[in-house]
Order: sequence, then structure tokens, then C-alpha cells
Amino acid sequence: MLFLTRTLPFLFCFVFGVTSWIIYYVPHEYAQTIEREFALWLRLVFAFAYVLGLVSLLSLHWAKIRQRQAGWAYSLIVYISFGVMMLFVVYNDGNGPFAPQETTGPYQWTFINVHVASSATMFSLLAFFISSAAYRTFRARTPEAAILLVSAIIVMLGRVPIGAYISDVIPEAMQWLMSVPNMAAKRGILLGVSLGAIATSLRIIFGIERSYLGGGDD
Amino acid sequence: MERLINIDRRIIFVFVFLGVAIPLLVDIHLPIKPTPTVRSVYDEIERISIEDPDRPVLVSFSYGASTVPEMVPMTRAILRHLFSRGRKVVGICLWPEAVGIAQPIMDELAAEFGMKYGTDYAFLGYKPGQHAVVLNLGQSVAGTFPFDTAGTAIGDLPVLDGAKNLKDFSLVFDFAAGDSMEFWWIPFGQEKHRFPFAGGCTAVMAPDLYPFLQSKQLVGLLGGLAGAAEYETIIGVPGSATAGMEPQSVTHLIIILFILLGNTVYFITRRRGGTV
Amino acid sequence: MSKITSCIAIAGIFLRVAAGAQEPVKIEVFDTPNDAGGSLTITWPLSTSAQTSEYRIYVATAADGPFQLAATTTAPALKSTEPTLFGHAEANDQFHVLHFTDHDTEGGGEPMPLRDGTAYFVRLGVTTDGDELFSDVHSAEPGGNWFNTAKWNNLIISVGLTLVILFYISVARRKDLFIRRIAGLEALDEALGRATEMGKSVLFVHGLKEMDKISTIAAVSILGRVAQRTARFDTDLRVANVDPVVMSVSQEVVKEAYLQQGRPDAYRPDSIFMAATEQFSYAAAVAGIMVRERPAAHIMMGYFYAESMLLAETGSTTGAIQIAGTDAYTQLPFFVTTCDYTLMGEELYAASAYLSREPKLLGSLKGQDLGKALIIGLVLVGTALASFEVDFLTHLLASL
Repeated sequence: MLFLTRTLPFLFCFVFGVTSWIIYYVPHEYAQTIEREFALWLRLVFAFAYVLGLVSLLSLHWAKIRQRQAGWAYSLIVYISFGVMMLFVVYNDGNGPFAPQETTGPYQWTFINVHVASSATMFSLLAFFISSAAYRTFRARTPEAAILLVSAIIVMLGRVPIGAYISDVIPEAMQWLMSVPNMAAKRGILLGVSLGAIATSLRIIFGIERSYLGGGDD
Repeated sequence: MERLINIDRRIIFVFVFLGVAIPLLVDIHLPIKPTPTVRSVYDEIERISIEDPDRPVLVSFSYGASTVPEMVPMTRAILRHLFSRGRKVVGICLWPEAVGIAQPIMDELAAEFGMKYGTDYAFLGYKPGQHAVVLNLGQSVAGTFPFDTAGTAIGDLPVLDGAKNLKDFSLVFDFAAGDSMEFWWIPFGQEKHRFPFAGGCTAVMAPDLYPFLQSKQLVGLLGGLAGAAEYETIIGVPGSATAGMEPQSVTHLIIILFILLGNTVYFITRRRGGTV
Repeated sequence: MSKITSCIAIAGIFLRVAAGAQEPVKIEVFDTPNDAGGSLTITWPLSTSAQTSEYRIYVATAADGPFQLAATTTAPALKSTEPTLFGHAEANDQFHVLHFTDHDTEGGGEPMPLRDGTAYFVRLGVTTDGDELFSDVHSAEPGGNWFNTAKWNNLIISVGLTLVILFYISVARRKDLFIRRIAGLEALDEALGRATEMGKSVLFVHGLKEMDKISTIAAVSILGRVAQRTARFDTDLRVANVDPVVMSVSQEVVKEAYLQQGRPDAYRPDSIFMAATEQFSYAAAVAGIMVRERPAAHIMMGYFYAESMLLAETGSTTGAIQIAGTDAYTQLPFFVTTCDYTLMGEELYAASAYLSREPKLLGSLKGQDLGKALIIGLVLVGTALASFEVDFLTHLLASL
């Protein structure tokens, strides 16, 4: 059992990790074939992950309904919504499930008018939250905070037409802030994060890091 | 003064709401000045329309329902520009939700410019796999998307004649609301095959992509609704992004005024020896 | 050939030269480097005549033909546009280059691709003033290459970094390595202590990414350490998940932590639960937990998207102590403004090492630091050199 839960995953990790690393430097057709196959297998794993996600979602909510846990009515709504959308997919605006999916009909209508509308609404809450967060936290308590404050104001004005309306200097200052200090800082963070990712990947490939298997180290 | 330091959030929310709602109802027009990063995208499309008119353009839709208000205006502006120059356009999706959003837009704008499906444009749909899809596209388009969304084989679509892999497109454009540009297209596509690559993204992501503009891995970038409005201004077809600039301008001003108010109260309180 | 004919031929050459006709072009033909095969490359010097209108590449499988057309160009590229193959020599501006992968066939039809291992004979036709002048015939065989020489700098750096990281891991197994204090992690004990005193729970949020992502691995590692402390302090721990695989790994990690602390009785599997499977549903669910259950501490570690602001701002209104850590630098500003402590970028990866003091984590952290020191050194030296137009370091490290 330990072979299946520990040794075999490590072996897969090592073989696939090292092979992917090597074929990056090898332009030969054989290496390109291996890369193509790896990418295809990865796409299959992604596709099956959707199935796994769906099964997990439905069983999670089924457990809530069965045990009448707090909020089980919302789980019932999940099931009803899922069933209705599946019906719309199968109906496919009258063409049936085996025809290409139509861009008209009840499925598209529900997608645009319910899902897109509610998702976009949730996303738009950010505008309100950032406003209250900005008011609360953008205080010039220190010289650094003051610089941050001034930069934030320049960028906020420069990104919208009113900045250019007030003065041509504002959009130019905004562009400089984005292209020089912002770009330098982002590149620094990007380098650091990339090095961290390389180190963690190496630990996973060489079997030093095992937390992704769960259950701690042995 | 204590109450001004700790204004109830709901008062701020009301002002933000009014800042968005009132400009939408009142007819104000502020001039929009395109920035260099947006103009670069326009110039690149103009350049390939003259120097490389025969090869198709690949457009990748990597956004979902929540970012429709930011991404759809730039999608329309870019597709409108491409179709107006008679470019052949091939659309793919790397996010599953993008299919239901992007396909109707492509069909609508193609019809407006008299573009024929299959000959002038095609929509290949969604494939799971994220960066693995980009890797496979770099080797073979037909191997990655053997059929379009209607079930037609790729070989039967004249728009893809000669487009064997990513190097055979005159431009690749990605509309990104997540990781697609930075973690899929650039490392697994542009870095390997060096094709001209440009993109449009949400406003919050735009600062993160400036290193790629500086290293020329990105030809140009449209950032958020403001980027879309700038592009609409350049192509001379104002749309919802342009209309959104007035509310956005007023809301930014409101936030700045609140910040200045907060700092004024903070300094007055500190001067009086109070604590904040 | 008789003497008279020879004289006429020589006179003809002189006449042609006197009339301004060009000498045959000197070409070089070779297998295209750093490719998968099926391609040949031809280079030739810039034309001295302004009247040159077209270049044609002809290919045959025998030295005396028949030659088929492989490529035609009126504006061939220069060698200087391909530094990956030809370097940065100034002379590269004086040569054209063209790669070709197939040739026409007799009688028309689909072009025939070049076959690896087959010897092809190539000549260049230069059309000037309507006359086509041919070069000598040169031969080459296309083939796939086993190493991309343009990436040797990348290989050296990646192998070097790997060896350094593995070396420091082995050093860390023998002696303790120093890590600077990370304020956010010191605050973890404070947060957990506060939750214990108030008799309230600790809410742990992973972020949206799957289990194979670096940030999620780091987050789960931190969860293990947090779980050990909540087991020891007998504090209620709630872990909200968005991914089923992450949830099952988290359950294992927390269970193991409680077992290690000798508190298997205190472990409750339903304290690690699926909040939702979609971004904003998840954000709404977790925000609801924050407002209703009022945990004393919110620990948000992992990769976040737009929901970061929703979670952190909602959490800040409840008065809980908030500690966040993410490598999603897009979201860092939101966490910094709304949380008490924020671990930025790779501090998240360092956090696990800091908490556990495990040699493998300390060692790789040291290796990363050395990598960063090298990059800083190269940037400083390279900038100084480039300021005086000494470009060799820039070219050495260029992404080719």
C-alpha cells in the first residue's frame, strides 16, 4: 500500500519532472513528441478534474440535504439549479443534446441574465470595498505612506479622462509611475516568486517535499 | 472629529453609488487620451494589416462571467478593428465560461462587417488544460482543436489554411481576467515561438504585466475599462467603455476626496494631541 | 573547345563585367541549427547592385539537378536579426539569411518537405536587371538537433541553481541556518493566543488554487503548523475550502497535527469543509462565516484573485486579527491595506520554513537567497557595463 500511496507518486513526479526539464533544451522531433504527449495527458487530467469537482459539489450538498444541516435549503437550490441548467443543455433550443450547442435558447438566456449578471454584481462589490478600505488605510502616517498616498492619487487620476482634463502632466506622471517604479517592483517580486517556485518544484521533483500527498512526512 | 475619522462605510458606499449613477444619467463628455501601451496594440494591428495581410490572427478569450463589464468592451473594440481591416480571425477559449460570452460577440461583429464563417473567421471553442493547450497549439493547431464548435473539421475551414501552429499567425491576442497571459501564453507560447503577442486584461492585473511590455514579450496592453475606452477612441467608435469613463472619473474623484478628508481629519486630530 | 571559341567566351565575360554584371554569389548552406529537423539555411552577402529585385533558392537531390524552386524573396532578412544563430558580430549586417523547409515538385502539386538525412544540393539565383545569375551549388543535410545551443546559458543557470539548493539542503541537515524574523508569522502565535482567550475560533482560508500549485502547498504546510498550535491551545479551527483535493489533503494534515499533539479526540473532520466550488460563491460563503460566527483570527494563505478584497475588507469590519500571505502580487495591495500582517510573495514560501525549521525548507530558502544575490550582482554589473556600451554580459544572459 505504501508503494501505491508514496513510492509510485514520487517515482512519477521524478520521471515526469526531470523529463520535462530535459526536453525544454532538446529541439529534436523525439523530444517534441514527448512534450506533445505530456501536454495531452495533462489536458486529460484537467478534463477529469472537472468531473471530480462536479461529483464533489453534488455529494457535499447531498450530504447537507440528507442530514438537514444548517442552510440545507440552499443546497436544495443548488440541486434544482443544476438540474434545470442540465435540462436546458439537453434541450439545446430544440436541437437536442447531440447537436452543437446553440448560442440562443434558455441555456444562453439563463447564463447571460442570471449567471453573468450575478457574477458581475459580486465583482462590482470590490468598488465599494476598495473605497472604504482606501479611506480607512490611506493615511500619511509616515513619509513612505505619504509617497504611497500621492502616487495612488496620481495613478487614480491619470487612469481616467479627468486626469488629462485637469492637467497633461498627470497622465504622463501616471505613465512614468507605472513604467518605472511599478515595473521595477513587480519585476523584483516576480524574480523572487519565480525563484521560490523553482525551489519548491525541485523539492517536489526530488521527493523532498511531500506535503502535497497529505498526512505529513514519513 | 471622532465620527469623521470613523465614517460609517455605508456613507462611503452611498457616495460611490451616486458617483456611478449620476454621470450615467447626465450627458457629460470628457476627452479620452490614448496611452502608449494601448496605441501600440493599434499600431501593431495596422502594421500586420499592411505587411502580413494573409495570415490569420488568433484571439484567445480567457475570462468569465464576473469580468464581462470590463472585458466585453475591449473584446468588441479589438474585434471591430480586426474585422474592419479585413483580417481573418480565429477565436479560441481557455476558460470554459468564455464560450457563451465570446461566440455571440464574434458572430455579431462578423455579420456587421460581412465576414463569412469558415472563410473569414472561425470559432474553435474551449479546451481544458490551460498552459497545456498553449503548448499543444505551439506544435499543431489541428491537433489541439480538431473541430470547431459546430463540429466542422479544421481542415475544412479555409480561414486556417496554412496555419499549422502558433508561428503561422500574424498576431496572437489574449483577453485575460486571470493567469492566462502571464503564466500560460508568455512562458509556454511567446517565449518558445516568438510570435507577436498582445493582450487585454482587467485593470487590477495591468500593473503586473508592465515587465513584459518592457521586455517586448508583449507588444501592447489594454488595461481594464479605461484601456477599452482608449481603444474605442483610437478606432473612432465609442461604445460602453467610453460611456463608462465619466462614472469612473467621478468615482475616482470621490475616493480621492474621501482620502484627503480622512488625512485632513487625521492631521488635525494629531495636532490636537488626540489619538487615531 | 577550340581557341577561337575560348576567346569569344572570355571576351563575352569581359563584356558582361564591363557592362556591370555581378560575379556569382558566394553562398553557405547548412542544416538549420536548434530545430526539430526538416529545414536548411542559406546565407549570402548583401548585393552590391541596387537593381537586384529577387532572390530564388533552388534545391535538387543530385548535384546536376533537376533543380526545383524552394523559396523566393525580394526582401530577405539579415543575419543580425537572428542573434540566437549567428551571435552579435557587426559583420552580420552584411549577410542575408533564409530558412526553407520544402520545395516545389515537378508538374505542380503540394510542395515536398525536406527529409532529414537526405543530401540536398542548393543554389541561389539572383535576378538583377531581368537577368538571373546563379551561385555555385552547395550541399547540406537537414536533421533534428539534440541540444538547443541558444539555451546553454539557461541550462547552466538552472543546473547551478539546482546544485546550490540541494547543497544547502544537505548543509541544513547538519547545522541550523539563520532566517530573519518575519513579522507576520510572529503574529500567528499572538492571533492564536487571542482566539484562545476569547474562546472563539480561528478561520483558515487557502485561496483558490489547486493542490499542485506552490502557494497551496505552502498554505497547507502553514495549516499544519497552525493546527498543531490550535490542538495544543484547544482552540477551535475552521478551514474553508474551494477545491475537493485541497480539502482532503487539509483534513489529513490537520488530523496528523492533532495526533502529533496527542489530541486525536479534539479533531473534528467537519471543521474542514467545502465552502463552495466557485470563486464568488466561495467569497460570499466565507464572508458569511466571518460575519456570523465572528472568528477571532482570520488566516488567509495561498493564491487569491478578486475575492481577496471581499474577504479581507469584510473580515476587517468584524474586528478579527487578520494575517494574510500570498504570491498573487495583484492582490498584495488589498491585503496590505486591510490586514494586520501580510506575507508578501516568497515570504509565503519562507513561512513554512520559519515555522517548522525543517532542514529541507531552510536549505532551499538559503539556495533561493543565493540565487537572488547572484541576480542582484549581475543586474548591477550589467547595468554598469551597458552604460559604457559594453554589451557582452547583456548578450550572455539574453533570453535567446
